[in-house]
Amino acid sequence: MIMNKKRLKFLLLACLCLTVLMIAAGVGSVQIGLADMIRIIGSKVFGTELPESLDPILVSILWKIRLPRALAAFIEGAALAVSGTVMQSVLRNPLASSYTLGVSAGASLGAALMIVTGVTIPLLGIFSLPLTGFLFGLATVFLVMAFSRRLDQNMQNNTIILVGMVISLFVNALLTLVTALSNEHLQQLVFWQMGSFSATDWSELAVITIVTLSCILLLMRYVQEMDIMTFGEEQALSAGVEIKKTKFILIAISALITGTAVAFTGIIGFVDLIAPHLARKIFGSSHRIVIPAAALSGGALMTLADLISRTILSPSELPVGAVTAIIGAPFFAYIYFMKRKKVV
Amino acid sequence: MLKLSHVSAGYDGKNVLQDISFELPRGKSLSILGPNGCGKSTLLRAIAALIQSDGDITLDGQNIHAMKRRDIAPKIAVMSQITSIYFPYTVYETVMLGRYQHMKSSFFGMPTKKDRNAVEHCLKTTDIYDIRDKMIDTLSGGQLQRVFLAQTLAQEPELILLDEPTNHLDIRHQLELLSYLNQWSKNENHAVIGVFHDINLALKLSDSMMFLKDGMMQGMGNAKDLINAKFLDHIYGMDILGYMVDSFEQWKNFEECYA
Repeated sequence: MIMNKKRLKFLLLACLCLTVLMIAAGVGSVQIGLADMIRIIGSKVFGTELPESLDPILVSILWKIRLPRALAAFIEGAALAVSGTVMQSVLRNPLASSYTLGVSAGASLGAALMIVTGVTIPLLGIFSLPLTGFLFGLATVFLVMAFSRRLDQNMQNNTIILVGMVISLFVNALLTLVTALSNEHLQQLVFWQMGSFSATDWSELAVITIVTLSCILLLMRYVQEMDIMTFGEEQALSAGVEIKKTKFILIAISALITGTAVAFTGIIGFVDLIAPHLARKIFGSSHRIVIPAAALSGGALMTLADLISRTILSPSELPVGAVTAIIGAPFFAYIYFMKRKKVV
Repeated sequence: MLKLSHVSAGYDGKNVLQDISFELPRGKSLSILGPNGCGKSTLLRAIAALIQSDGDITLDGQNIHAMKRRDIAPKIAVMSQITSIYFPYTVYETVMLGRYQHMKSSFFGMPTKKDRNAVEHCLKTTDIYDIRDKMIDTLSGGQLQRVFLAQTLAQEPELILLDEPTNHLDIRHQLELLSYLNQWSKNENHAVIGVFHDINLALKLSDSMMFLKDGMMQGMGNAKDLINAKFLDHIYGMDILGYMVDSFEQWKNFEECYA
C-alpha cells in the first residue's frame, strides 16, 4: 500500500519534471508551442519531416539554445541534489552539502585555474575541466574532514559545518585573487562564477549527463549503506558496513558529480540543500527512493530557477545562482532553526 | 564461543579497561554490571571490534581484529544506546536494515521473501508489528528501543551485545524482552551479553554476572556464588543488599495487604 503510494508520487514527480522541462524549452522571448516542440524534436531525433510553415529560426532557438540549456539546468540540478543527499547521509547532517563543505569552492578554484592558465590535460580534451573540478573539490572536502577531526574527535555536525564554511571562504578568497589578477579572463571568470547555463552546448551537456547518470547508477549500489550510516558509525559497523572505505567512495562520487557540474556552469548553491529535503519530506528517508527523487526534484528546481533567471527581467538575464540563493537562504535558516531532530 | 585474554581498551590513548579475561560458551548469557564509568560499554565495544583493543579477543577461535566487518556482522550484533535521529525511516524500513548482510547478495540489494519473513517475525517478537508503518521519530523511547532490538534480531547473529537494553522500557516489556533473550540463547545455542545497572534485571537475563570497577574485573560467576553484602559494598560503595532486602520487605507488606 505504502509502496504503491510512493510509486504514484514518484510518477507524479516525473510528470512534473517533464512539464517543467517543456515550459522551460517553450517560454522565452519567442514562444514555442508544444506541437511545434514535438515536431522539431521528432525531426532532430527520428529524422521526421518538418512542415514548411515552421519558421527555421524556431528550430534553431529550440534545438541550439533552449533545449540544451533546459536539459543542462535539469541535469546539473539533479547532480547537485544527489551530491547533497549523499553528503547529508554520510555526515548524518541535514545541513551538509557540497556547497557548505567546500566542494563547490574547491571545484571552482580548480576550474578557474584551468581557464586562466589555459592548460588542458593531454588525451582528456573536454574532460579536463570536470576532472580538475573533481580533484580540487575532493581535496577541499578532505581538508575540511581532516581539520574537523583535528578540532573535534567526535566530528560534531556544527564543527564540520563551521570548518566547511571557513575553508570555503578561504578557497573563495583564493578564487577572488585568481580572478582579480587575471585581467584577460576577468569578465569571463566573474560571469562564470555567478553560474549560468546560457553557454551550454550539446557536447558539454553530454559530458555532464554521462558523469551524472553514471554516478547516480553507482550510488544506487550503496543505498543500503547510506541508510545504515544515517544511524551512526557504530550501528553501521555492527551491521557489517566497511565504513571508512564506503565513506571515501561516497564522498569521492559526490565530489565528482559536483566538480563536473561546477566546472561547466559555475557555483550554484542551495539546490543541493533544498532538493534532498523535499524528497525526504515526500518519500521518507530510504535512499533507494530518495536518490532518484532528489535528482528529479533538484532537476525541476534548477530548471525553474533558470527559467526565472532568464525571463523575470527579460531581455536582461539574472545569474541563476542569485535566484537559487534568494530561495535557498531562507530555507537554510528554516532548516537550521527548525530541523527535525529527535533526541531521546 | 567467545574468549577474551588480557584485553585492555580505551579512548585517545587512555585505557578505560584493563586486563580483562573470560570465556563465554554457547547457549549462555552474561550480565555486566558496575558503577558509572567503570568500562561496561567500552567492554562491549571492544568485543564487537568497534574500538581498538590490546590482548586477544577470539570468536570461535578466530581473532576478531583479523576479521572483516562483513564477517563479524553475521556473528555479532550490537544494540547500542539510542542516539539522535536525523532522518526518519518507518519502523519496517529500520528493522529491515538489520538484514543488510543477508540482502547484499540479492539483486540490487532488494529484500527477498526470506528477509521479509525474518523482519515480520522480529516485529512480532518485539511487539511492534502494529506500528510497522509509523515513522520512528514519532515513537516513544520504549517503542524505539524495541525497534532497534528488532533490528538487532533481524541481523540473525550468534552473539548479541546489549548496552542497557531496557532503560526506556516499561516493566512488562523489560521482563518479556529479557526472558525472550534468555530463551533465545538457550534454544538457538547462541549467546547474549548485556550491560545493566539494575541487578534484578541482570538476574532475569543471565546465568552468570561480571562486575567491573575502575576498568578492572572484580568477579565473574554465578550470582549465588558471587553476590554478597561485602562484595556489593566494595563495588558500589554502599549497602546495596540491605537496600534490596528493605525493598523486598515492603513488597511483602503489599502482598499481605493484597491477600
